[in-house]
Amino acid sequence: MSKTHEFRFFRLVARNLAHRPYRNIATVFIIAIIAGTLFASQYLMSGAEQSLDAGISRMGADILVVPERYAAAGQSVILTGTPTSFFFEDSVFEKVTRVQGVAKASPQIYIATLFASCCAAPVQMIAIDPESDFTISAWLKRNPGVVPGVDDIIIGNSVIQNVGRDLIFYGHTFHVVGILEKTGMGVDNAVFTRFEDASVMANESGTKAVRKVTIPEGMISAVLVKVLPGASPAEVALEIQRQVPGTKTILPDGLLNAVSGQLSAVTRLLSGSTIAVTVVSIPLLGIISAMVADERRREVSLLRALGATRLFVVRLILAESFSLAIIGSFIGIGTAAAILVAFQDYIAYTLKIPFILPSPLALLAAGGGALLLSIGIVGLSSLYPVVLITSSEPYMALRGGEL
Amino acid sequence: MIEGIGVTKVFRHGRSDVVAVDDVHLNVIPGEFVLIYGRSGSGKSTLLGMLGGLINPTSGVIRVNGLDIGNLSDAMISEVRAKEIGFVFQFSGHIPTVTVLENVMLPMLFYRDGPGSLSRAVELIRRVGLSDRADAYPCTLSSGEMKRVAIARALINSPPILIADEPTGDLDIDTEYEIMQLFQQLNSEGMTFVMVTHNLDLVPFGTRTYRMDRGKMMEIPRPLPGVTMTKEPNTHLDHDAGTAMNEL
Ligand SMILES: Nc1ncnc2c1ncn2[C@@H]1O[C@H](COP(=O)(O)OP(=O)(O)OP(=O)(O)O)[C@@H](O)[C@H]1O
Ligand SMILES: [Mg+2]
Repeated sequence: MSKTHEFRFFRLVARNLAHRPYRNIATVFIIAIIAGTLFASQYLMSGAEQSLDAGISRMGADILVVPERYAAAGQSVILTGTPTSFFFEDSVFEKVTRVQGVAKASPQIYIATLFASCCAAPVQMIAIDPESDFTISAWLKRNPGVVPGVDDIIIGNSVIQNVGRDLIFYGHTFHVVGILEKTGMGVDNAVFTRFEDASVMANESGTKAVRKVTIPEGMISAVLVKVLPGASPAEVALEIQRQVPGTKTILPDGLLNAVSGQLSAVTRLLSGSTIAVTVVSIPLLGIISAMVADERRREVSLLRALGATRLFVVRLILAESFSLAIIGSFIGIGTAAAILVAFQDYIAYTLKIPFILPSPLALLAAGGGALLLSIGIVGLSSLYPVVLITSSEPYMALRGGEL
Repeated sequence: MIEGIGVTKVFRHGRSDVVAVDDVHLNVIPGEFVLIYGRSGSGKSTLLGMLGGLINPTSGVIRVNGLDIGNLSDAMISEVRAKEIGFVFQFSGHIPTVTVLENVMLPMLFYRDGPGSLSRAVELIRRVGLSDRADAYPCTLSSGEMKRVAIARALINSPPILIADEPTGDLDIDTEYEIMQLFQQLNSEGMTFVMVTHNLDLVPFGTRTYRMDRGKMMEIPRPLPGVTMTKEPNTHLDHDAGTAMNEL
C-alpha cells in the first residue's frame, strides 16, 4: 500500500478558501482597502521625507539663515522652489561666521526670474559665492569633469535644458554645464550661477531685458551654515538668531515640520481613512468570521471527532484567515502602487509636497507594514471564532443536521 | 479493548436532568462484534459517543486498550480518536468543501504514518459502492450515500475498533447486506465492532447483543427471544426514512 499522502493540510486550506467565495471575497476586499490605504500613506510620507532628505543634503547645510521677515519665503525656496527675492546686509555673513559652533558659512543671493524659454514656470536663480560655497562644490567634487567658468550655470533637474546648451535670463546668456540629480524639492527648479555673473546680468538687464532686475549693493539673501562636528545645529541656530539681529534660521527639522504641515491634510485624509477603514473592518471581519465560525462549528466537531487536535483546528482557521490577509494585502498594495506610480507627478503636484520615488527599502517597509497590519487585524478578528470553535466539543458531530 | 465501568451520562435540560446512560458496564474484547439495539432515546448514541471519546461521561471510567481516556491531554485523546477508533456517526457529516474521495482521506491528516493511502481510499469507496461518486461533493449525495462515505472514512486508517451508530440505517436491503459483508470480512480479519442497529435481522452478525432501555443496558442471551424482537421494527427510523425507500 502506498504511503504517499496526497491529501494534505494546505489542500484543505485551499479547498476551504475556494469554496466559500463570498465571505472570502468580502474579506479580501476589506483587507485590500486597509492595506492599500496604509501603503499609500506610507508611500507618500516616505517619498516626501526622502525628497526632503535629498533636498537638504543637496543644500549641504545644517542651517539656512534668512532675513527675519522672509522665513516662509526661505522655506519655499527650499521646498517648492517658488521663485522669490529678499535681501539683508552682507555684514550678516561676517557676523554669522563668528558665531560659536559655525564651521563653514556661505552667502547666497536669490533672484526670481521671469518666464524663460526653458521653463513652464519662472525658475529660482541662486547665485553662489564660489570662494565659500559648499553646496555646489559638493556636487562638483562628484563630477570632477565640470569646472564652471564665466557665465556657466548648473541647473536643477526640472529645468529643461541639456548640458552644453544656453539659457537666457534677463537678456543674459548662460551656458549649462551641469544638471543636478532629482530631489523633488525646490532645488529642482533652481539655476545656480556665480555672484559675479549674476551681478553682470543685473547690471545689463536695464538695457538687455524687458524688465530690469536689481541686486542691491552690499546685500545678500541668505547664509548657509555648516556647524562644527559635535555641535547641535539647533543650538547654533538659536545662537545665530540671538547674536545677529534681523535673522531667522531654518533647520532641516523645521523643514520637515513644514512639510508635514503641508502633508498633514493628505496624511490626515489618508490616516483618517486608514483608521476609519480599520475601525469599521475589525467588527465587520469579526462578524464575517463569527458567522463562518458558527457555520463551521459542526465541521470542526467532525474534524475533532476524526482525531484533529485543537492545535490543528486553530492552525487550519488561522491559515485560512492569514491566506486571505496575504492575498488581500497584495491586491491592495499592488493596486495602490500602480495608481501612485501612474499618477505620481500629478499627486505630488496636487498635494504640493516635495516628492521622489521612495527607495526600495522604504517601499518594502511600507508594503511590509501594510501586510503586517492586515495580518494583525485578521488575527484579531479571528480571535473570537478561534475561541468559539476550539471550545466546541467533538460530540456535536453526533448531533443531527447538515454541516 | 474497550471497557466501560459504571458509565453514566446525565444531560441537564434546564431544571430537569436526563439520565441518558445509566451505570453501564461493558467489556468489549478484541475481535468481538457487539450489537446494541433499543428504542429511540434510550441512550445508544450517547453510550457510543462516550466509548469513542467524544462525550465525557458524568461518572464512570472508559478504558481503551487499558488507557483511561477520561484524563488524557487533548493531543493524546485526539491520537486515540485518530488511530484506535473509527467512528460512523448516526448523522453522518462531511466537510462540504472537499470531494467524497478527500472526505474519506480526511482522517489521514490526523494519522500521518498510518495505513491510510489514496489507493486504500479508492478501494474503500469501491467497497461501499460509490466509485462513480468519488469526485462528487457531499451536498450532492443522498443520505444513504453520505452514510457510506462515512463508513469508508471510518475505515481509512484501518482502526482496531469500529464504532458504528446505525451504519446501515439509511440503506436499502441489498446495500445493507453488502456493507455487512464488508464488516464481517473486516471482523474476521481482527477488527473489533461496536454497532447500534434497529434492524434485528442483523443480530446473527453479532457475537454479543445488548439492549438499551432508558439508559440501562442489558445483555440479550442468544438466541433472542422472539417477543423482544418484534417490538423493535426495522422501520423505526426517525429521520430520512424516505431516502432509504427512494434508493430501492
Ligand atoms: N447533547 C444533549 N443534550 C441534552 N440531552 C441529550 C443530548 N444528547 C442526548 N440527549 C438526550 O439523551 C437521551 C438519549 O439520547 P441518544 O441520542 O443517546 O438516544 P438514542 O438511543 O441514540 O436514540 P435514537 O435511536 O433515536 O438515535 C435522549 O433523551 C436525548 O434527548
Ligand atoms: Mg442515536
